[in-house]
Amino acid sequence: MAAGREGAHVVAVEPPGPAERRLASLHAGTEPVEVVGRVVTLERREVTRRSDGTRRPLLSGLLSDGTATVRFTWWDPPREGVERGTVLRAVGAEVREFRGRPELTFTWRTRVGPASAAELPNVRGEELPSRSLAELKGPDEGFRVDVRVVRVAPRSVTVGQEQRVVHEGLLADRSATIQFSSWSDFGLVPGEAIRIAGGYVRRFRQRPQLVLDERSTILRIEGADLPEPAAVLRSPPVSVAQVEDAGGGASVAVEGIVVGLLPPSGVVYRCPTCRRTVKGGICRVHGQVEGQPDLRARLVLDDGTGALTINAGREATERLWGVTLADARARLRDLPDPSVLEEQLLESVLGRRLRVRGAGSQDDFGVTIEPESIETIDVDLETTAAELAARLARGS
Amino acid sequence: MARREPAWRVTAREIESSLEEERGTGERPVSYLLSPFGARMNRAIVAGTLTPAEPVGREDPPTFWRARLSDPTGAIAITAGGFQPKAMAQLRVAREPRPAIVVGKVHLYRGRDGVAYLSLRAESVRSVAEHDERAILADIVRQSLDRLDLVERLEKEPNVADQVLTREGVPSAWIRAARESLRRYPTVDRAAFRRELASAVRRVAGESGPVAPPEGSPSRVTITRAPPPAPPAPPPSAAEREEEAVFLSLLDEIAEVSIDGYADLKEVMSRLEAQGVVAGRAETVLNRLEEGGVVEEPIVGKLRRA
Repeated sequence: MAAGREGAHVVAVEPPGPAERRLASLHAGTEPVEVVGRVVTLERREVTRRSDGTRRPLLSGLLSDGTATVRFTWWDPPREGVERGTVLRAVGAEVREFRGRPELTFTWRTRVGPASAAELPNVRGEELPSRSLAELKGPDEGFRVDVRVVRVAPRSVTVGQEQRVVHEGLLADRSATIQFSSWSDFGLVPGEAIRIAGGYVRRFRQRPQLVLDERSTILRIEGADLPEPAAVLRSPPVSVAQVEDAGGGASVAVEGIVVGLLPPSGVVYRCPTCRRTVKGGICRVHGQVEGQPDLRARLVLDDGTGALTINAGREATERLWGVTLADARARLRDLPDPSVLEEQLLESVLGRRLRVRGAGSQDDFGVTIEPESIETIDVDLETTAAELAARLARGS
Repeated sequence: MARREPAWRVTAREIESSLEEERGTGERPVSYLLSPFGARMNRAIVAGTLTPAEPVGREDPPTFWRARLSDPTGAIAITAGGFQPKAMAQLRVAREPRPAIVVGKVHLYRGRDGVAYLSLRAESVRSVAEHDERAILADIVRQSLDRLDLVERLEKEPNVADQVLTREGVPSAWIRAARESLRRYPTVDRAAFRRELASAVRRVAGESGPVAPPEGSPSRVTITRAPPPAPPAPPPSAAEREEEAVFLSLLDEIAEVSIDGYADLKEVMSRLEAQGVVAGRAETVLNRLEEGGVVEEPIVGKLRRA
């Protein structure tokens, strides 16, 4: 990956000044450089000199120019005038390397002054290194990706006091799929191919997620080699062991046999505000609430290579079980022991062969899939037997 | 992160042929039964004809039940006790043999005289339609063939790197199991096992009907392949005899007052440690008594005099 990043450093196509460098192109050991960047985070400290015990002020934080974010250390900084969001131009900054990543140090030889946002490099997608989705694992930025929009839908969320719309969905390339959320409306449509520059990756529920905001740019591209949405959504199942090794996935398909049921399954009660399951009428977040009845099944799906949990919701549970929420509640009124209901649910699903597609995430108890689709697979015994007989004839 | 143990798709024959195990250690030990055909299983799923259950032991009412599940390759004991109340209830409902699938933990118990008792401690039992039983059997045969192919490939090319196989999509747990099978069962007859699978395929195809439950005693396997010869144990010293006496009297004491007539292993161990009589050596003493056939552990964690 590192080699690919270096190979893609075509940053000097139009250098704004002879010495100015993009943050993505910094290497340790080079001559002092000139950089422009926006302060993303900052922290003031004082360091005690070992020689004479005097205190020396220090400002450190993260600097970003849209191509990368690097840590900077500024010795003897001005007492004021530097805040989050300030754009700085530093001439004669030293580049060091810490744990394989470049860092900037502003010393007494470095001239640091304010700059305007217009002086920040105008990052175009072409200038950023290209990545495949499989390479986007942890927090990352300063890259571009060519992807197909598999699906996208707006969702209204409350951020603090403000009501905002976030566009969420799924992106795919040949290597992988990734969930994304966009705080700007780029008018994305399922099926189109786009080049995204200036997005960043964060981990959300143990899965990488690509986040787009107003700094990101979108370019419609041909994308002839990108998979079609239908192909992504109908990809063949992989083994559970593979899903476990990958720690889940934004869109995974598995096929296996139901071998068990985990609590809570059956009729559950949910908080009317946050949909969390309510125990004894108490929501973990909202306190005492009137729980709303719901039906769910936490199925253990096993394919002989591994096992994972499928969180089936009401609709899927009703379909698999053939019992509606209303039926189940009626049964509960007649049953002295509610766990009997769970046993009846298990009885009806144990041994069923299912193909499940959805988003998988991993925690201490293994992989859990939030299913988008659950299909019951009916095995054609005659064909299967013929195929097995042929294999046996070959093998012995 | 702990992964849930997958249910290995195995025939009754494969379980019956498994005479090697890997005992786990530590706080939550996981043990594995190693088959000659590439399974390293803790949990398994089987499909076949399940007989009505019989109570085991002298307790009244009985707390431990045993049934037998037969598939076209063989038969295996299915057990359930008070720790698997739901499975136990499922075992007890049947009055007639019926097609069923069982998910459970495999268990190998070695009695005296080299007799191995293999059983599946049921976690879930379900009566199914014949079609469903055959569908699960199909899955069992397919994966048994997949594992056999892997074992045979590794026998031909022992030096093939694990990464090569995982890139082909072979689960790493299967690779480990296959290598272990080859190491532990160097001379096993896999061709004969393939022939057994052929009868299972006929059942999948519907050419043969449900397997009739076998007559007679529960499945027992006599170990014909000699385990690695152990040096003859020196006769116990007076000190060792003393330890054993302490152990046995405590075991009797606990068993006397327990509900099920067994002495709980944990209780025995913790009280021995507390007494300090055989501190740090309780495990050794137990192993010696088990090997000597004085004490047995018919249910995991439950001891009694043999």
